[in-house]
This record gives sequence, C-alpha cells and structure tokens, in this order.
Amino acid sequence: MALIEVKNLVKKYKISEKEHGILGYVKHLFCPKYKEQTAVNNISFNIEEGELVGYIGENGAGKSTTIKMLTGLLTPTSGEILVNGIIPNEKRIQNNKQIGAVFGQKTQLWWDLPVIESFRLIKKMYEIPDGEYRKNLKKFTEILDLEDLLEKQVKNLSLGQKMRCEIAATFLHNPKVVYLDEPTIGLDILVKENIRKFIKDINKEKNTTVILTTHDLKDIEEVCDRIILIDKGTIIFDGEKERFKNQYGKHIIAEFIVQNKNSNITVETNEEEFEVLEENEKNIKIKFNHDKLTVMDIVKSISNYCEILDMHIQEEGLEEILKEIYRGEVIND
Amino acid sequence: MVRNIKLYLSFFGASIKKMMEYRVDCLVGMISQIAFQIIELIFIWIIFQNTDNIAGWTFEHLLLLYGVMMLAISVTDLLFDSTYDIGKRLIRKGKFDTILLRPVHPLISVLGESETSTALGYIVLSIVLIVSMLIKLQISITFSLIIKIIYFGILGGFIIGGIQTIFSITGFWTYKSNEVVWSVFQLHKLAEYPIEIYNKFIRIIITFILPFAFASYYPTLDYLIGDQTSLIFIVPLIVVVIWIIAIILWNWALKKYRSTGN
Repeated sequence: MALIEVKNLVKKYKISEKEHGILGYVKHLFCPKYKEQTAVNNISFNIEEGELVGYIGENGAGKSTTIKMLTGLLTPTSGEILVNGIIPNEKRIQNNKQIGAVFGQKTQLWWDLPVIESFRLIKKMYEIPDGEYRKNLKKFTEILDLEDLLEKQVKNLSLGQKMRCEIAATFLHNPKVVYLDEPTIGLDILVKENIRKFIKDINKEKNTTVILTTHDLKDIEEVCDRIILIDKGTIIFDGEKERFKNQYGKHIIAEFIVQNKNSNITVETNEEEFEVLEENEKNIKIKFNHDKLTVMDIVKSISNYCEILDMHIQEEGLEEILKEIYRGEVIND
Repeated sequence: MVRNIKLYLSFFGASIKKMMEYRVDCLVGMISQIAFQIIELIFIWIIFQNTDNIAGWTFEHLLLLYGVMMLAISVTDLLFDSTYDIGKRLIRKGKFDTILLRPVHPLISVLGESETSTALGYIVLSIVLIVSMLIKLQISITFSLIIKIIYFGILGGFIIGGIQTIFSITGFWTYKSNEVVWSVFQLHKLAEYPIEIYNKFIRIIITFILPFAFASYYPTLDYLIGDQTSLIFIVPLIVVVIWIIAIILWNWALKKYRSTGN
C-alpha cells in the first residue's frame, strides 16, 4: 500500500458573481449568484514512503488546493485521499500528528516569542520525547545554522532566517509526510541551498516523504526524484524527473562563437527542428530537435556561413521545458 | 481532555510571556480602560443626582453591581479575549490554517492566544469598587464572602466568554467585521443594572437566553441579601451548558469552513 493514495480527487469552488458598481453589490447581497469553478479535476496518484515529489504547475493550476486537501485543511468535493491509512479531513488531529507543513509566508512560529519557545511549544503539542527533541534540535541547528537565532524573537528575523526556523519546526516531530508549499519563495541562493540540503539529508536519514510545490525549478532539479505536473486542474505528467526531461526535452541549445561570417543563416529545414535564437557577427545561438538532427549536422551547416571558434552545447533545462508546456508548444503524448 | 488543558495552559503561558514583551501597551491599555470606566461611572452618578434610587437600588448598590460585572468582564478579557475577532485577526490573514494543522483542537489554540492589554485595568478597578462599596454598605467582608466573590467572578467570566465564543463563529463568514460578536458582547451592559427596571422580554433574554444576569445581578443579590444558596450550583451548570453549545457550534463551523476554504 502506498503511503499517500489519491483517487479521482475533485474540488469545485463556489465563486460569487458580483455585478459592477454599488447597485451590483446590493443586488448580490439580496440574491447572491454563484458559479462553480473546478480547481482540481479528477486527479489520481500514489506516493510511496520516502519519495521526494515535486508538484509543479502554473499559478492557479490547482497546486495549493491539492496540498490543502492532502493536509486536511479543505474537504474534497469528491474522490478519496488516504495518508498512511488516514482520511485527512475526517481524522484531522490524528493526521496532523504525522505530517508537517510549510505554507509560503504564513508562519507556524509564535511571532512575539523567541524561536526556542516556539520549538518548546511544538515539543509539547506533538509530545516529542525529550531525547528525540534534543537530538533533532542539535542536528537541525547544525545543518540550518540556527545557533544565533534560537534566542531571537521571530518578528526580528529576516525572511531567510525565519524560513530556516520554520523548516526546522516542521521536521521537529519526525513527521512521516511533509508538505512544502513554496518554501523557497523570496529567499537568497545560499538559504535556498541550505534548505534543499536539509530536505535531502533528512529524507535520506529518516525516509521522510516530501511533497514540494515551487516556482523555482532548481528546487526540483536538486531535491526531487519525481515530478507531478498539474495544469488547469488535471495531471499532465507524473513520473521520474529524468523521464520528464526525455519526454519533453527533445531540444538542444547550441551556442557558437564565430568569425568571418559571410551571410545570415537561412533556415533550410523545418522550423520546429531548427531555430535560430540569436545571431550577430560573433555569436550564434541555435535550438534544434535532437531526434531529427545531430550536433554534427548543425556544425556542418553553420560552417558553411562562417568559421567556428568555439561552441557550447546545453540540454534544455526544466525551466525551458516548462515554459514550452505552459505556452502550449508541447502536446502531451 | 487533560492533554488539551495542559496544552491550553502552555499556549496561555506563551501569551502571558508575549504580553510581558509589550509592557508599555499593557500600561497604556490599563490606564485608558480605567479612564473609560470612570466616565461610565460618572454617568451613573449623574443619574443619581436626580433620583435616590432605581427600582429600590441606591447609588452604592448599583456601583457594587457594576463592580461585580466588571470583575467577570476582567476574567473574560483575560481568558477569552481572542475569540472577539477571529475573522479579522486569524482567518482573513490565513493564520487560521496553521492553527488547523496543529495536533490539537483549534479552539484550544484560539483561546490560548489571548491578546488582552486591558484585563489588568478591569481587575484593579473592579476590586476597588467592590471592596469600597461593601464597606460603605456596611456588609462585613467575611472569608466566605471573598471566596464567593472570586467563585462567581470566575464563573461569570466563563459565562460571558462562552457567549462570546458561541458568536465568534460568525468570524468564519465575516472576515472583515466582528459586529455580531461586538453587539452581543455589548448586551452585557444590560446586566450592569438591576433587572427589575426592565420589562419581561429583556429579563427573559438576560436570564435564560444570554444569561449575563448570572454574571452580575444574581450574585450581587446574594452578596446584598444572602439567600441565594442555590446559585452556587446553578451558575456552574449554566457555564457547562454554554460551553457544550459553544464546542458543538465550533465543530460545526469548522466543518463548514473546511468545505469552502478561503
């Protein structure tokens, strides 16, 4: 049995339709009109214990709604969710004991108190045994570099400091599943790396299952093994990160440094297979379909126009692939 | 249950620590509250410039009643202040989601987040009023009377706090205003006067429906006349009933809230 089982999950919101102007508002007050909007439309997936899953999609694709249902904050319109055998929105407190969650900028720490006080309250809430608490605190303090922060009030911390404390608080009770909704939003690179390392370390040591939503695809590249891509409420990809790249990332970008260019490059082949992204006297940047053309083909055709001094070849990253998917350039097959 | 109470005490302890961080706020809150209450007392004094008594109650009687109510309010303010505007303070800002993710009933978390800065002012003023009026009315301050005043003061606070908690669920729908809670809370002012002055309708309301009178009028009657022994049992019973209703309604509201989201 998988740790998390989601079957035919649907969430519909009732959105109130207001007409413009004061009159419209008054009218709405007396006879409110609603329309239904489907945020999550019949999704299913299983997640095994210890998996690191990147849950990605555009703004409004249904990511947060899914996470809210998984955590039990929101009741599904229909469908089933089982987290470690528990239906989250029915046995809320029981479920809360086994999960941890970070929701973007919302803090679970006590704003006016020193960080360590929040940790102590969390210890009491989750009934963490003394030994376990001390062990985790020591370890987390080390990895996340919290030593100087513990005695400071949360309100006096910077965004990055706060998020490090937040992450520590989330893992303190050894949760089985952790949901991280945009944990790296607005953080600088060093803090991001610090947090990514922490997630990976804890996953390795404690086999914690992590579901991560983010807009920073470096988070996914570095942390996750599996990607679930949601678009307009439906899952359009679910599988290993490498398979995702193979399936969608058929393009290679080649950059040439050239000299003695005699004329502009004319595109001979089908545009989908070969595209000039950038071209001037010294640089040429080309994107081509690797299924149809080889690097040698490209080098040959470029050398008809100029003398190649140097070249740099790069596979498409997640970001480029996603951009294409969002723009509708890649059709799922 | 024991676990919930322990957690409540931990949360409440954290709130007290937090208040210590804001000593100036507390001091200002205390002073402004005392000033505000003194203005209300001046109004009562003006009324008594024109009459000897109201429904048989003299100025001193009325101030005693006022002090008894204020003691109950101070308890409400100290313990249940956070239910006053959950919509604005917690739900609209999304803080409520983090509360829902804790492995404890959300009501425990909410109640534990007291943010009062005025309770201390109420307590000081109410004790001054009660003691001075008892002396003036030549009622001997016995040990059993002190115990009774504390007992009814705390339970009165639980009555008003319970009523406030029941109506606080409106915050799940009206994020921006707490008018409903505010209006209901203001009705306690009716019980700052002897209920003889009201018609049957209002008497029924503040005795049976929103039993504010059990936080002030009936205990005061006991202090003055002293033949209300059954009150010792009736008041805790009222507290229990109110809080059972409050918990049931809260659970219902939580269920509704989770199906709509925000």
